[in-house]
Amino acid sequence: MAITRYTKMAYDKADDIVFGTAKHPVSYGFGIKVGAGRVIPELNYAPRPGKEKDIALITKEYVDYISQDAVNRAVTLGFPDLQLETEWISQMGTNSKMAESIVSGQTALLEKMHDKYGINLAIRHTIPDQREADQGLRPKMDKERSYPERLIISAEIAAENGAHVLSCETMGGKELLDYGVQVGDITACLFGIGYLGSLDMSWVWPQFVDICKKNKVVPGGDTNCSGANTSMFMAGGYLDNDVQRTFSAVTRCFAAARTLVAWEAGATGPDKDCGYEGPICKTIAGKPNAQEGKNCQCAHADLQGNLMAQICDVWSNESVEYHSEFGGSSVQCWLGSLGYEVSLMNTAIAFGKEKTLRDLYMFSDRARGPEGYVLAYDNAYKIGEAIVAEGKDLYRRAKAAGLTGAKIIRDGNKKKEIMLTAKQKDVLDNIIKTLEKLPDEESKFVDYCLKQYKDVPAFNPKNYDL
Amino acid sequence: MPNVREAKNMLSKKGVDFGFILKRYDIEAENQNTPESIAKKMLPKDAVFKNCAEDVLYMRFKDIGKTVTEALKSKKPLEIINEGLVAGMEVVSKLYADHIYYLPEIMLAAKTMEIGIAVAEKQLGGARKTKGVAVMHVAEGDPHDIGKNIAAVMMRAAGFTVIDLGRDVLVDDVVAAVVKEKPFLVTGTALMTTTMSAFPAIAAKMVAKGIKIPFMSAGGAVNREFSEAFELGIYSEKAPQTPPIADKIVAGYDWKKVQAEWDNIVRGV
Repeated sequence: MAITRYTKMAYDKADDIVFGTAKHPVSYGFGIKVGAGRVIPELNYAPRPGKEKDIALITKEYVDYISQDAVNRAVTLGFPDLQLETEWISQMGTNSKMAESIVSGQTALLEKMHDKYGINLAIRHTIPDQREADQGLRPKMDKERSYPERLIISAEIAAENGAHVLSCETMGGKELLDYGVQVGDITACLFGIGYLGSLDMSWVWPQFVDICKKNKVVPGGDTNCSGANTSMFMAGGYLDNDVQRTFSAVTRCFAAARTLVAWEAGATGPDKDCGYEGPICKTIAGKPNAQEGKNCQCAHADLQGNLMAQICDVWSNESVEYHSEFGGSSVQCWLGSLGYEVSLMNTAIAFGKEKTLRDLYMFSDRARGPEGYVLAYDNAYKIGEAIVAEGKDLYRRAKAAGLTGAKIIRDGNKKKEIMLTAKQKDVLDNIIKTLEKLPDEESKFVDYCLKQYKDVPAFNPKNYDL
Repeated sequence: MPNVREAKNMLSKKGVDFGFILKRYDIEAENQNTPESIAKKMLPKDAVFKNCAEDVLYMRFKDIGKTVTEALKSKKPLEIINEGLVAGMEVVSKLYADHIYYLPEIMLAAKTMEIGIAVAEKQLGGARKTKGVAVMHVAEGDPHDIGKNIAAVMMRAAGFTVIDLGRDVLVDDVVAAVVKEKPFLVTGTALMTTTMSAFPAIAAKMVAKGIKIPFMSAGGAVNREFSEAFELGIYSEKAPQTPPIADKIVAGYDWKKVQAEWDNIVRGV
């Protein structure tokens, strides 16, 4: 599958983008239509510890408890659509029979419930990328556990056994991002996320898309969960003090240029909810965007809980461990929370007020932190424009995304729209200076980074054919 | 949020009081102190030790080797480590606690201190005696190791020796390392609910071998209830809590006492 880089925006202007509608809607599963005029709730979950001990036990956990509970609650509350997402546990990535049992079992249940109630249902399988940079990211490099080979096998198992959507949180470049976040080195983050991550996705995603085509499965998309989310969660909220939120906001902009690669390789969306860079990607590609925020507090606390809903097409709870709550099982409770939010969005669409609700979501969090500020749809659109202007050059477009995002925050601060602490401002100014000093040519940048980061733990240029 | 040029067609926010919507506690609580003002009160008075401490404080990892070499002309290696390098790191810890320094400063200061200690230790003719050995790892099947790495740096900075087994470590490999290294503490980190099941399995194997040191569980998927539900189990919610808990263990606390006094040990950290 050839990769076609984006060099122009899908939308003429930011105001054209709303939740529930994408330029390129996708249909799959048992009646699910994404980006076709309404938002779809997506429920994600994790089994209880210990259930992974044998195949029958873990299959029962996923099928008879989690999936059945979720569909029952969706019917009970009158939700017309439900998408499940199984983020594979690590054991599924190494035990093919366990994975086959769960994937086929969940799809069979969804088909049965669709037939019984007429509810629209589908399931996304997000396979685990267990590759380790120090062992090797490409086939035949990891002699001990063969994780690169297992990644592709996992995609095949998901696609052949009933997945409707295939996704992955690929890990390329994480070793540089981890280093960069820990020592405050923005160039390492640009190299890790923007360049190495994009190279790795350019290797992985054409293979996923081919597997999906062969099995008539929808290739959804990726997320920089392993990179920009690490940065975001370490930046945290107002009581946290590890990473500056201006720093994490810029890593998020890099991530948009990287996550886009899945769609350039032929994935169609919906991409992964935990990729908070999704709004930027949607402005560029017009493909359906899965997102999470206010209704994923079971897993993530972030500073843009409402804002993230502004232009989503699928709305997720991120993940919740299965257990009992007063209101039912945890998956039922969080589906209730998700489903009612989606119902509000779809009510706004039905009344022709979707742009009003979009703006209310956005204004609620626009000034809560720098990351939400760059992801506000008008600013996301500007970052998208910066990416497509350099669309064919993986390095230049990631740098342009970061620099544009940084300047948007700086200008917003000058206009008193987004407040910053002195430390946040100082870090932001240094980021702008650092990025502006970097060379224009990809080859010079790569030469510099190979020398500068040669001793970063686990970094091996051969993982990226460098 | 006054004076904002809104995108065309965007809902107007004219007259909206955003004070009803959010409060920027981080701006209001911003610490106006500088590293210099805190350091003035805490740095050693002796000029030689002060130079070493300042290199750590200001993360001069390229200079510290030279500074320690110079200091060794007039001071003993252990004095340089404890009264210069470690004293500098104590100022860094204070700045971190006061939200003046952040993670990157901690990591770079710790790196600077470790370079300086290595130079001083050469004069000692071997590694100095530390507070004790901790074995740290990330659970089998789990590739996320940034939290463990940060905790390891903080443990080293606090004067402990760390045997870092890395990520995705098999249960039996952890047990074998414990038998070999004889640590006072083992830690395991997990981001997924189904990988943390390895922790009670490791603890059970340690107990079967008669090893009764605490097993500390940590990481995104882990909570206190799970961590304390098995024999030897103790909990760390975040990396900076690991050194104060470790201090209590080397002072004689067993896993039951750490569980019982956990709230007091980590208070304010």
